[in-house]
Amino acid sequence: MKPRYLIGGIVAIVLAVAAWFSLDSSSIEYANLERAEQLGSTVQVVGTWVKDQGQSYDAQADVFRFTMADEEGRQIPVVLHGAKPNNFEIAVSLVVKGRVENGTLHASNVLTKCPSKYEGQPQGV
Amino acid sequence: MIGQILIHVLFGLAVGSAVSYVWSWLRSDPRLATIGRTLFTALSIGLITASAMLIIDVVQHRFEYTYVWNYSSTELPLHLLIASFYSGQEGSILLWTLLVSLIGVMLTPYARRHQYETAAMSIYGLIMVFLTLLLVAKNPFSYYWETFAASGMTPADVPANGKGLNPLLHNAWITIHPPILFTGFASMSVPFVFAMAGLLKRDYHRWITVAMPWALLSTAVLGFGIMLGGFWAYETLGWGGFWGWDPVENSSLIPWLVSVALVHTMLVQRRTRGLVKTNMSLAVVAFVMVLYSTFLTRSGILGDTSVHSFVDPGKFAFWILLAFMVVFSVLGLWLVLARREDMNIRREDFAPTTREFMVSIGAAIVMASAIFVTVGTSWPVIMEIIGQPKVAVAIAFYNDVHLILMPLVFVVNGLSLLVQWRSTSKGQFRRNMLVAAGLTMLLTIATVMTGLSALEHIFLASTAWFSLVVNVQTGWMIARKSIAVAGAYVSHLGIALLIFGVIATSQYEERYHAVLVQGVPTMVGDYTLTYVGKEQIEREFLDREKLRYDVSIEGNGESRTVSAILYWSDFNQRQSAFLEPGIRWGLTNDLYISPKATEWENVWNATTVMRGGTIANPLDSTQSITLQRFTMPMEEGQSEDGRMQMSAVLQIADGDGSPRELRARTRISTGDGGPAFDPEWTPISGTDIAVGLTNITRNNADPSQSTGELSFKRVGQEMPAPREVFTVEFSVKPLMSLVWIGVITMVLGFAVSIVRYLRASATPSALSSAPEAL
Repeated sequence: MKPRYLIGGIVAIVLAVAAWFSLDSSSIEYANLERAEQLGSTVQVVGTWVKDQGQSYDAQADVFRFTMADEEGRQIPVVLHGAKPNNFEIAVSLVVKGRVENGTLHASNVLTKCPSKYEGQPQGV
Repeated sequence: MIGQILIHVLFGLAVGSAVSYVWSWLRSDPRLATIGRTLFTALSIGLITASAMLIIDVVQHRFEYTYVWNYSSTELPLHLLIASFYSGQEGSILLWTLLVSLIGVMLTPYARRHQYETAAMSIYGLIMVFLTLLLVAKNPFSYYWETFAASGMTPADVPANGKGLNPLLHNAWITIHPPILFTGFASMSVPFVFAMAGLLKRDYHRWITVAMPWALLSTAVLGFGIMLGGFWAYETLGWGGFWGWDPVENSSLIPWLVSVALVHTMLVQRRTRGLVKTNMSLAVVAFVMVLYSTFLTRSGILGDTSVHSFVDPGKFAFWILLAFMVVFSVLGLWLVLARREDMNIRREDFAPTTREFMVSIGAAIVMASAIFVTVGTSWPVIMEIIGQPKVAVAIAFYNDVHLILMPLVFVVNGLSLLVQWRSTSKGQFRRNMLVAAGLTMLLTIATVMTGLSALEHIFLASTAWFSLVVNVQTGWMIARKSIAVAGAYVSHLGIALLIFGVIATSQYEERYHAVLVQGVPTMVGDYTLTYVGKEQIEREFLDREKLRYDVSIEGNGESRTVSAILYWSDFNQRQSAFLEPGIRWGLTNDLYISPKATEWENVWNATTVMRGGTIANPLDSTQSITLQRFTMPMEEGQSEDGRMQMSAVLQIADGDGSPRELRARTRISTGDGGPAFDPEWTPISGTDIAVGLTNITRNNADPSQSTGELSFKRVGQEMPAPREVFTVEFSVKPLMSLVWIGVITMVLGFAVSIVRYLRASATPSALSSAPEAL
């Protein structure tokens, strides 16, 4: 075997191992609320905003509060450190990144997913 | 109907053109190539026609077409109507196909001049077959009643207006960024077809010369398109940054990285005739990554991990996309493998002290970056396939990886220019290296003195200085002889500037949460911010209320007013505003005001209370107040000036005395903005506090759930009118300008190189080296 293949191979393996560990430590699990409560660590929860529970932004504390329901319908109050995300009201689903502490989901980020146009129903004509 | 038929005809033309060219190649019959060329021209004319038809349908508001209904509306101005053409999946596939065909029209005579037409256009035709097949699957001319036939729609059902375009996208960038990005994607097909044609023709070297200007062009255009996306996010969407390692961003970055590696290895082959197989393989990988990116972002499989909206294209389109990718990967790799023995022309290794060695190592590091970004972006899918819980990759992964790879790139880039092609004279290398290392040291110390403290960033900055110094040093000597060959140095300089901008903004950025009361100067960091006032803009449109919020910024010897935008639109029934930042651009720093919320100052100590509910008096907490009920307007009669009147019946309880009843009356006038309440301030006996009923929210379904708003003040006290409170994030972003200057410098460098290699490809030596086998 030529030395250049050997060196190349070793470098590739080292990089691959480093990448694996880095990916493993920086990957964030998708969880439902039940699992998020058990874990208590940072996860991503897919769900929807519970409209009739309202929403509010506290400008002094820079905190946005709302209640979300996960895909199984379980509900939890969410505290987002930051302002209300764009497209919040029209989002068909939310991806909330955060961790559960004392029955509240402390979120660092909320992704709002806009309506998928292809699944849309016709509007009144 | 014509549109739908046209799309099918286009597919037929693509098949016809590809078959003619392939046949011409197999039979070495130039007459068949003429047929292929004619069909390709017809295909391009057809695509121009289809695109024009779609634009006309959008501009004329033909909402009987599902696509027009989905992505446009009568309120949109012309430039946004034109942008609606590619806002959705069908239209963007049409745009991609159109651009590929137009590039094909320019490519055909070029390829012909270089005796590459039949082989190259056979492969190009095959690409067109897949693209037009995608169009058949995602036909932009579907009728509304067809799409919603299951809901009982008939051809008579034509919507009165379309759904419109998300207000976040209402700006000039949507007319610029996507077409340029798509041009970049489309032009990536060209190096691939030349590589494939080279393999078919067993012409393993000349294709490099032929394809070089195109490889540079696609890299430059794609790079520019990516930057415009970042600029858009920064300038309008208010994401605060310009890059977030989002799957959609990554999916355009990956082909760009492969393409960057490819132009470098192509350069090595031009100089040394080495890396033959590497170049063939990279050309395949670059194109396949375009398809993979398209697949990732258009198949809906990454739906939950991106800020961009992903759309499920449906089963048919999903499988075509997958087949598209698989077919070209297999075809490309099979051709490379089939010719591998043939390509083993040069077996000696590069000596480590040569430029060819260093450039190859550099390309390998860029490929490592491409692989890491690909794995990171695909990680959620990979984990799902191997049955693990679904995960997403944090931004930290990409940042960490590139904190290792970027310094390597810079060091190798600097070294590659200090050594020479073939062999390096030790004396010259030592002299130049000494100068470069000395300057790098000085500049790094200067950088550390500005306050950069994180070790990994100091390291990154010092390597960027090294690359910058060497490129200026070498580039200057070259440019003095001929500016035409200095392109590469200019591009490298651009990358170094970009990275300085990235380090500065990520390490020195200051962010503040600021609550600005109108007219009140507020100290925020080193600056004094004042929310001056707002003004409605774009009043001619009835579907929106667009407000400009002016904030004056004073400090560090300057005084400026910047404007953030709050955009209330019918798109979301004006439930909340779409927000656009206000920016004071500057060479040394940007001042960035990102709006968060607006509200009115609560000067009246207003408190909302439900019927039957009890609150504490905000001015005297020993006193409790219960809202027993509301009186009816009939009970109260009209006020002197004829307004309707209502009262809240309150029960006041002190710590000691017995509870007593109080009626707080209010006069109600109705107007466009809903009812307005004008309270009669009623003194609470035994205190100097007066209470007023400032709002009533009636719950029609359950009147017992109605709420009232009670306000409080001292008797005789005159309160100022409530002022508006504008909550923002204020940030100071140092050297942000370097990010844009860096990328533009890089693109300009590419432009210089494109001209150079276009000339080189036209020289007779390149033409005569291998006649075509026709």
